[in-house]
Amino acid sequence: MSDIIRRDPRREWIARNRLHPLHDSVANAVQGEVRGPSGLLRKNPHQVGFIGPNGLKRIDRLKGNAVVGVGNKRSAANQEAVLPLHKVDNPDFYIVVVPDMVGGRLSGHDKDILGLAHTMVSTIEGNGAVVAVCFGESKETHYDLAGVDRLIHLSASEYEGFAPEARLTALTHIEAQLAPKHWLFPDSIHGGSDLGSRLAARLGERPAAQAWQVSGEQTVCRGGGGSLDISRQTPRILMLLEECGEAIDETRHEALAIEVDGISVSEPALQDKGLMDVDPSAIPLAEAEFILSAGNGIHNWDQFHKVATVLGATEGASRVAVDDGFMPRFRQVGATGTWVTARVYLAVGISGAIQHMQGIGQCDKVVAINTDAGCDMVKRAALSVIGDSEDILAELMLLAQARKKGSQEEQSDAA
Amino acid sequence: MVIDWLPSILIVVLLALGVIGALRRISLWRAGQPEKVNLIAGLMAMPGRYLNDLHHVVERDKYMSRTHVATAGGFVLSMVLVIAVYVFHVEQKIVTWLLLGALVLMLCGAFFVFKRRLNPPSRLSKGPWMRLPKSLITFALTFIVLTLPVAGVLPEGFGGVLLTLILSVGVIVGLGELLFGMGWGGPMKHAFAGALHLAFHRRPERFGGGRSTGLKPAQLGGESHGVAKPSDFKWNQLLGFDACVQCGKCEAMCPAFAAGQPLNPKKLIQDMVVGLAGGTDAKYAGSPHPVRKTGKEPGKEVGHAKGGANNIITAGLIEADTLWSCTTCRACVEECPMMIEHVDAIVDMRRFLTMEKGDTPNKGSEVLENIIATDNPNGYAPSSRTNWSADQNLPVMKEKKQADVLFWVSDGAFDMRSQRILRSFVKLMKAANVDVAILGDEERDSGDLARRLGDDATFQSLAKRNLATLSQYSFKKIVTTDPHAYHCLRNEYADFDTEGALKGVEVLHHTTFLNQLVQAGALKLDTFKGGKVTYHDPCYLGRYNGEYDAPRDLLRSLGIEVAEMERSRFRSRCCGGGGGAPITDIPGERRIADMRMEDVTATGAELVAVGCQQCTAMLEGVVEPRPEVKDIAEILAGQLIEEVH
Amino acid sequence: MQPNVVSLISIGRHPQSGRARRAEQDGRGVELGLKLAGEKLSVLHVGNPEEPVLRQYAGMGLPAMTVLKQDETADAVPALSDYLQQEKIDIVLTGVRSESGESSGMVPYLLAEKLGWPVVARVADIVSIKDGVAEVLLALPRGQRRSVTVKLPFIASVDNAAAPARQSAFGPGQRVRMESVNTHGEVDQIRVDWQEAPAKPRPKRLKTVKAKTAADRFKAATAKPQGGSGKVMKNESAAEKAKAIFDLLIEENVIR
Repeated sequence: MSDIIRRDPRREWIARNRLHPLHDSVANAVQGEVRGPSGLLRKNPHQVGFIGPNGLKRIDRLKGNAVVGVGNKRSAANQEAVLPLHKVDNPDFYIVVVPDMVGGRLSGHDKDILGLAHTMVSTIEGNGAVVAVCFGESKETHYDLAGVDRLIHLSASEYEGFAPEARLTALTHIEAQLAPKHWLFPDSIHGGSDLGSRLAARLGERPAAQAWQVSGEQTVCRGGGGSLDISRQTPRILMLLEECGEAIDETRHEALAIEVDGISVSEPALQDKGLMDVDPSAIPLAEAEFILSAGNGIHNWDQFHKVATVLGATEGASRVAVDDGFMPRFRQVGATGTWVTARVYLAVGISGAIQHMQGIGQCDKVVAINTDAGCDMVKRAALSVIGDSEDILAELMLLAQARKKGSQEEQSDAA
Repeated sequence: MVIDWLPSILIVVLLALGVIGALRRISLWRAGQPEKVNLIAGLMAMPGRYLNDLHHVVERDKYMSRTHVATAGGFVLSMVLVIAVYVFHVEQKIVTWLLLGALVLMLCGAFFVFKRRLNPPSRLSKGPWMRLPKSLITFALTFIVLTLPVAGVLPEGFGGVLLTLILSVGVIVGLGELLFGMGWGGPMKHAFAGALHLAFHRRPERFGGGRSTGLKPAQLGGESHGVAKPSDFKWNQLLGFDACVQCGKCEAMCPAFAAGQPLNPKKLIQDMVVGLAGGTDAKYAGSPHPVRKTGKEPGKEVGHAKGGANNIITAGLIEADTLWSCTTCRACVEECPMMIEHVDAIVDMRRFLTMEKGDTPNKGSEVLENIIATDNPNGYAPSSRTNWSADQNLPVMKEKKQADVLFWVSDGAFDMRSQRILRSFVKLMKAANVDVAILGDEERDSGDLARRLGDDATFQSLAKRNLATLSQYSFKKIVTTDPHAYHCLRNEYADFDTEGALKGVEVLHHTTFLNQLVQAGALKLDTFKGGKVTYHDPCYLGRYNGEYDAPRDLLRSLGIEVAEMERSRFRSRCCGGGGGAPITDIPGERRIADMRMEDVTATGAELVAVGCQQCTAMLEGVVEPRPEVKDIAEILAGQLIEEVH
Repeated sequence: MQPNVVSLISIGRHPQSGRARRAEQDGRGVELGLKLAGEKLSVLHVGNPEEPVLRQYAGMGLPAMTVLKQDETADAVPALSDYLQQEKIDIVLTGVRSESGESSGMVPYLLAEKLGWPVVARVADIVSIKDGVAEVLLALPRGQRRSVTVKLPFIASVDNAAAPARQSAFGPGQRVRMESVNTHGEVDQIRVDWQEAPAKPRPKRLKTVKAKTAADRFKAATAKPQGGSGKVMKNESAAEKAKAIFDLLIEENVIR
């Protein structure tokens, strides 16, 4: 390209003429700096500012906040970097959090509990520090942003995987060393409630399980199979439900390591033999998280089963598909079949009889593939795709296979 | 005559053998449980029951009824006269001529039986039953020839020794079938057992045009519940099984059989006969219980079923799936010329499976557990029972204490489709200014489902609790949109109503009640302008309670001429939703609802009117395109002219 | 060798009606016990032997059950551990959490601590028992399983993922032999001070917007609320439609 700046009179004319039908596209296309014929920098006064909610034009004089753009993101990152550091020197007491660390990272549940620990610290007199006890290999890099004042990281191999007894031994050592004011565990299936119960039994403490409203004094926890709220004095050991507190997001923390020495782990009675390979199709429908469900609109059943395997979805079916003998009865979803709780329910060729809709009432996101845009399933769905299911499933399968391949390559690269 | 005494001796010997056989048969029935029956009154009423009630059923097939009258009438008359002439030697001319006449009548009848058997429909059993017309003809012919000399038509001693020998063989064959076979389990057993069955029937109310459809309560407590072995049946139930003529009318009507589910009511009754007499079903020569083509396992063909009076029925005699295939639609009972109670027997055996073995298939156990814990089959919160009527402004009995009409909402309250029916009905009642109230959250499942699934303990508990609730309030009528609840309230709760909660209370189905309102002019209705309409008779409204006319009257009041289906009124085909069949869900070749929808489509109707939420659900479950399905209350509510105040 | 198995049962509570029932997990515990020990399974309850719900457990085909008679307010653990110490037992099965009372799920842990046995939580199945070692499958979320071996005797809490309890039949339930043992429990003093109220529905967390400027806060407040009817794709190509679905699946993190 030559350096000569060329003008396009027609575009300029359109840009000037606000009534021209193409004005918007031309005016918006002009980004970055605009130079006049003499090479001087030109500002278009019509493009300054934005239209406010009441339809009036607003000009934002605060540079950096008005226009959402790259610069704004950068400034947000800068702000994060300068979050104030919360320092605890010579703490008077400790509150210990034992996060689940699913996949080696702090989960949302863990972060909520760390946040709750800080609110507890603030209601108790004295200078308290929040200690996180992490077992096994950790991939977490942001303990500081999650509110960890002190970190005990036990990465020895005996704590790896499923090792509740070794972990319990470690916790009893920490109890002796720090004498924490409170022990907080997530009340979760990932091991938090197991470990908490073990510690409570070992220390002879009466814990609060399924707690969800906790202050330094008072705890409200669920009892009676979820039918009661029990209010009681806050005990030393707590097992907390999800969303029991607000995660830390405005401060940085030291995450100073504390060393725990002299833990001797004896031979455990429970021997971990590893995870089993579970076929998604073997997961009970009511438990499944992602269901690919087939109805009357499916004609290519081989393809349907293949897609389910590739996507790793559990198969479901409408009553009609079951009645016609394409799917076994235990796969039937609906008021007369299984009530499902899947987070994502992908309904292919199901128009949505009322009993079916009742059965998927608890599903979070429903996706519909259907030829009829007016059917009930489309009305219920968060995303509906109108068209022939066979074509769309074929495309979906290609995408899933491509992704699988990609991730495999990535893994082999990493290795 | 050369050997004059031979026929007499043969008659006496065979008669004696027949009596011995009959006594043995009676002893088999006596293995059953005791049941009080008025023996004398029953025997006295028997001829009337035969000539009247049984004949009415047979009369539906004119050919067969005439044939049977000729054959059976001719036989009974000729047998009496044969004994008079050949045993007691009454030799008046008039008697012998009478005998000849009776024999000719029987011969004619037997000939028509023979003709039917030339190309029998599949529902008829073959085997010994194919022999029967020949034996009948042999008997009649033999005695005609034998009597001709006695009557003086032919000279005495005509034919000589050869003819005498031939005739003796004829006597043995004919009487062997008719007398010996009667007592020893041949096809003629039906005459002997059938006559006694009519005399000692477990539901005498059915005779003389009456109706008795409510199940008998199970005895709770004790070592066992329900019927595990043939000897657990009442003795007159066993007698009833023996009365079966294997005509296969039940088989032809059974929706489960037509759908290819493993139930053939005729075979079921014959299995019971095998059970009570002991042995195998190798001699059975009718259609078997259908077997799914895909899963043909050995041991399911005829000949493998073994049983005995004290053997567990479901261990070898019949498959449990056979019992669970039944929709309790009563089509078989309605059709049976011998008035055998198939449904009672099936539910009795289900009671054992559910209450003793805890073996209700598929969703059965879950549903029963829900009914026990929440008083509704789907486990909804009992406190949400009235949610559907939040916008209906319906008074609740707890506050109102009394009303003209108590609206029994039934479990349709939890189902979004059924709620449309309920709302329509409420709209109609409001338009007619009916003083109505509902029980609200105090209502419970009627127990219908639990009872049909064999859990009589739960049914009885629900019935007692419902009755206790009902007894607190005063009302003149109970109206319900659910024929199943209607049947329970009307026919089955009386067994437990010790406090008289339903005494003097009229229990009505909503179509009956609406028909009364329309007849009284309380509802203003527009004429219906849609297309062709047909009406599906719900089993629990029609066959169970005899209400065939009110729904049709209602449709007529809208100016609708009902395009009747081939199977309608008492022959209506079940939708497949009764007796817990959708819950036990026994696989077949087809779905019953699909077959019923084909019946509907055959009339060319665009709309099928129904009077039952269960039928609505089943028929709407048929894949579109299909005619629209609407409850009569919905159709009426759509045509209601609302007055503007 | 058939192991000596004890299933502990409690009075459940139906989540919808609040009525007493056979507890979901305890029922599964009995089912697992029947699988391991058959007719020899002992079933143990602490409380009132007259409780009709016990018959629902018995309806699973139990010839007999033992009830440690005790007041409802008393603590069940001392009575249980005394009783269990006397018997020669290989496996004790409980539910993860009771459906009534405190529902803390501590019973198996307290018993294990008292008896000095290992405890295995959230068992989906006990696959085999060989030479005094049991192979146990633990239930993990989304239907995943972990295999663990443990030496007898041990205590296991049975998860909802275990095989469902068989149907309870009326007849056997009525005929069960109830062996009632008198115990005296101490009243749970700590619990007396607690206040119990019907559970309040927990508020769902809203997406809070932490805006730095007035303009951002204003934007957040006036933004169109999400939800309403979903997105419908009609005329796009099949590939585009599939991509949209696939993106949603990735966004929801159901594809790995």
